[in-house]
Amino acid sequence: MLTRRDFVAKLAVAGAAIGAFALAPGAACAAQGSASSVQSRTPVVSFHMDRPYIDPTGTAMPYCPPSGARSGAPIARFSEEAFRRMQCYA
Amino acid sequence: MVDFSSQPTMKGFFAPTRFEADVYDCEVTGKIPSDLNGAFVRLGGDWLYPPKFEDDSPFSMDGYINMFRFKNGIVDYKGRWVKTPRYKADLAAHKQLFGEYRNPFTDDPSVHNLDRSVQNTTPLCFAGKLFTLKEDSLPYEIDPKTLETIGPYNFHGKYRSLTFTAHPKVDPVTGEMICYGYEATGLETRDVFLYTIDKTGHVTREVRFQAPYVAMVHDIGLTQKHVIIPVFGFVSSMERLKEGKVHWGWDNTKPAYVGIIPRDGEAKDIRWFKGPSRATVHTLNARTEGEKVILEAPIFDGNPFPFFPPIDGSPWDPTKARAYIRRNTFNLASKDDGFTEEKLFEMNVSDLGRVDDRYLSLPYRYAFTAYADKQRPFDEWKAGNLGGRVNNCYGRFDLATGKMSSYFAGDTHSLQEVCFVPRKNGAEGEGYVMGVASNYAEMRSELIIADAQHLEDGDVARVILPFRATAQVHGRWMNEDELPFA
Repeated sequence: MLTRRDFVAKLAVAGAAIGAFALAPGAACAAQGSASSVQSRTPVVSFHMDRPYIDPTGTAMPYCPPSGARSGAPIARFSEEAFRRMQCYA
Repeated sequence: MVDFSSQPTMKGFFAPTRFEADVYDCEVTGKIPSDLNGAFVRLGGDWLYPPKFEDDSPFSMDGYINMFRFKNGIVDYKGRWVKTPRYKADLAAHKQLFGEYRNPFTDDPSVHNLDRSVQNTTPLCFAGKLFTLKEDSLPYEIDPKTLETIGPYNFHGKYRSLTFTAHPKVDPVTGEMICYGYEATGLETRDVFLYTIDKTGHVTREVRFQAPYVAMVHDIGLTQKHVIIPVFGFVSSMERLKEGKVHWGWDNTKPAYVGIIPRDGEAKDIRWFKGPSRATVHTLNARTEGEKVILEAPIFDGNPFPFFPPIDGSPWDPTKARAYIRRNTFNLASKDDGFTEEKLFEMNVSDLGRVDDRYLSLPYRYAFTAYADKQRPFDEWKAGNLGGRVNNCYGRFDLATGKMSSYFAGDTHSLQEVCFVPRKNGAEGEGYVMGVASNYAEMRSELIIADAQHLEDGDVARVILPFRATAQVHGRWMNEDELPFA
């Protein structure tokens, strides 16, 4: 597995632009709100659990790991009817 | 092989849990009040196996009883499946053998004539025994020490209805239980048997009558003089069952009937009042004042359950699935069969409301229930986007003044049914508000305990479970002197 340390060591070849972003993942996450309006197609690298994460969508959104389990997320796309069909008293 | 992957809504917090559990000396934040000795017993459902049909009702989930046992400031948790014949048959077959909700025509032939009740609605403590209740069968007796299932119970052979309500009422003055069964003589019958059972568990009175049509009769109101019986638009028929449908469909053309019978009356004394189409699934409390009988309840404008769809094929209407605390007044001196309806609070609430049970059937002041306060924050980043579908508050509704006070569970939590636990020798409303919160950020359940007179101050204690407790339908507090707990 490529670790953050190994990855940073290889950054010399990877280029300055990506390297700057990768070295400041916290700042990248903090800037996420404003990043949503950016229509860039530049790949973005960020880190989670000492592993690099390369944005697969090409929307230049750095990966910010959730601080919670987000266990309600699977039902986000369901309508009121679908939700009530599942658990009317949840 | 058990596979829930094709169940799109059984994910994340809503995935089945399927295990039995014992947790001794649970993690607690805050301090458990020293006067809480007994158990908060919850009953709900979980899927042992995935439903046989995609459109089946969540009310078909297998019963699961669990309790938080309070003793000298320490809380233990225990959870067990209700081991019905249905549970055992499914487990033996390693699959779901039972079909649509309360429709035996959709079952696997191997379980023909087997008791198909899932026992997933209300726990009951009465006459020194613990029961689970589901309105399609007799109560099941449960061992309060182990929560293991003993089996169906018929009150010394004198309770003759085939079914028993999930909402019997215990008169705090006499200790009697007023209970009933609908579809009492079999599927699709209009027969209702109404019983009085004394505090030792012996049937003292039986009245048999017929409902205006075959319908869900889920809850009743009780006063010191009358029993109030709401009948509303969830309808059924044998044809419907033979077509393979769920037991209930919603008929918007059916008026809501409310039967009122004197507690010492006979079938001929029942009087049916008629009102607009509503769904009174649960009641709060009732009283008789002279010639007037008054019922207060969180009443829906229409069908609250999309899994019991409209019989005319129209789409389910979520705007009618909102419950408001209302007062229905029935004038027994009137020759009219109508009644008045008042909306007591403009906000919609959970219809799983409670009162101080010491005031059941009597004049009272406070009602408690959960509701969604959209002004409170919700942290979607930590909890996931639930689209506002969270009951984040418990409210104490003062029916005398129209005011309310509120407990907020937190910005990643949703509250299940509230329970009120009175303080010994306290006045009405003195005691604790208790209920389980779903913590979507930590993916675990927490039992909330708050002072009912100081809800704005937040909880006094939380009992933390390291996992999700099964979803509750109803929960009841049972005092230590009522049952032989371990």
